[in-house]
Amino acid sequence: MTGEVLRILLLVLQLGFLALLYLILIGFSRALLRDLRSAEVTQMASQSGIGRLSVVESPADEPALGSAIALGPINSIGREVNSTIFIDDDFVSGLHAMLTFRGRSWFIEDQGSTNGTYVNGHRIDRPVALSFGDELTIGRVRMRLER
Amino acid sequence: MHAVPRPLELRLLLPLVILVPLGFAVTHIAQTSTLDPGPMAVAIGYVGLMLGAHLALRLVGNRGDELLLPCVATMGGIGIVMLNRLPQELLGTDAFGVRFGMATTQLLWFGVGVSAMVLLAGRFRDDGVLRHYKYTWALAGTLLLVITFLFGREVNGARLWIFLGPIGFQPGEAIKVVLVIFIAGYLAEKRTLLAGASARIGPFSVPPLPYLLPMIAIFVIVMLVVVVSRDLGTALLFMGIFLTMLFVATGRRSYVLLGILLFIAGSFVAYNLFGHVRIRVDNWIDPFVDPSDRGYQTVQALYAFGRGGLFGEGLGQGLPTISGHLPIPALPTDFIFAAVAEELGLIGAFALLALVMCLVFRGLRTAMLARDDFSAMLAVGLTVSLGLQTLIIAAGNVKLVPLTGITFPFVSYGGSSLLACFVIVGLLLAISHRSVVDAQIEGRGQ
Repeated sequence: MTGEVLRILLLVLQLGFLALLYLILIGFSRALLRDLRSAEVTQMASQSGIGRLSVVESPADEPALGSAIALGPINSIGREVNSTIFIDDDFVSGLHAMLTFRGRSWFIEDQGSTNGTYVNGHRIDRPVALSFGDELTIGRVRMRLER
Repeated sequence: MHAVPRPLELRLLLPLVILVPLGFAVTHIAQTSTLDPGPMAVAIGYVGLMLGAHLALRLVGNRGDELLLPCVATMGGIGIVMLNRLPQELLGTDAFGVRFGMATTQLLWFGVGVSAMVLLAGRFRDDGVLRHYKYTWALAGTLLLVITFLFGREVNGARLWIFLGPIGFQPGEAIKVVLVIFIAGYLAEKRTLLAGASARIGPFSVPPLPYLLPMIAIFVIVMLVVVVSRDLGTALLFMGIFLTMLFVATGRRSYVLLGILLFIAGSFVAYNLFGHVRIRVDNWIDPFVDPSDRGYQTVQALYAFGRGGLFGEGLGQGLPTISGHLPIPALPTDFIFAAVAEELGLIGAFALLALVMCLVFRGLRTAMLARDDFSAMLAVGLTVSLGLQTLIIAAGNVKLVPLTGITFPFVSYGGSSLLACFVIVGLLLAISHRSVVDAQIEGRGQ
């Protein structure tokens, strides 16, 4: 008789284990679904941009350190105040470099600046295709290209 | 660095407080036919460890994905219940003059893995160390592999182990992570070149080989060492990771097609060249030719799946031992999926696979949200390595592909594998943390 009771108890406990496992799974799927819905919203909000420059180092704080500059398809970079990306730094030329989005990727081209344009620490002498995550050094300002 | 709340993670972890001790009690009751729930130290230790990991992630201020840890912890929970229920003297470690049983050893490795995960999730802020020294990493990894091949200890016909005193580990697991780091670094640097110009031969566009050569060279060296040391599962895994990452970086099917053709050619050569490969493949085609020797494990695994059926034999009531031995010798490592399927049935096996899917989904989401190419490629590679590893071993268990000896992530017994898997989760948490923080900065800036 006790054997019978034990058998039933065991069965209940075994089913309980499976049920709990599936309850956990339901918890996961609810969290996933909620995230997918909110992700749709953020996706729509961020799709307007093709990339941005986040400022890693900026001694004169113009552009501000830690800020992210949203990019259009064609950006001029320089000390000239009408530049798309204005950098207030003595080591930057008036029109220093052009940052353009062509086809599927970003390109940077030095515009005959005095102190040169650097990609990941290497001075460039021709237009260079950039990957997201590459670091631009212009004067004493360092910026990272991100999506 | 200040503490952050991770409410979702806590909520998804809490059911484990019941699940794991319940599993321990059920298996003990089933095996002894008494109302005694049996020793609970390992179960409590495991749950405590996972809750501790949650607290530690909060304390180090990680804002990364909150589903990764609960997912992994639930898989590990099922694993430790199964391991605890098997004869403990089967595997284990003698260390410091004490004999640790299988479940206890696994719990200790869980402790090591979780510590590594928290450390990476909290301290790993600058990926420059990985990105800029990718060749150094690749070199170190290859050297480690060669050292293992030359001086390692042979277990089951494959020389994959290095022993430092009582503690043995498989460097192959570490190489997996290092290889992903290298490929991610390389592809992130050369992506624009690779996706761009290429030569054409007839209708086929040929990859710009000079750009790919350094990566292919290192990959071939790694593959050669792995194949020669008879670690077929790892070779298959590396190939899959490599092709997936190449495809993700370039978006070109021709690479994948070329890779698959090369792989088929390589498999053909390996089949004709190595006896052990031929045995594996012949076993896969028909294990019942030699069911008591070569095909033994595969046949027993198939029986286990059959006995399990839809709802399983019941936790603790399957896996009969034959004179104290398990029917499948490699049950705790390579065949843990068969054990789960026998005791929890198809629905239990599905639950396990659903957890892996959730993990892969969140990993790919982390890659999608990453701000730079390197982080994205790294997240893809790491995630795919976990997913593919599960696929290869689960498919091997059910005889869908030839069986290869690799572990089921987070479930199988094995310290190096567990540590490598937690390192992967730690890196994913770090990547995910960075993109969350970046998004918040952007939100404030605009």
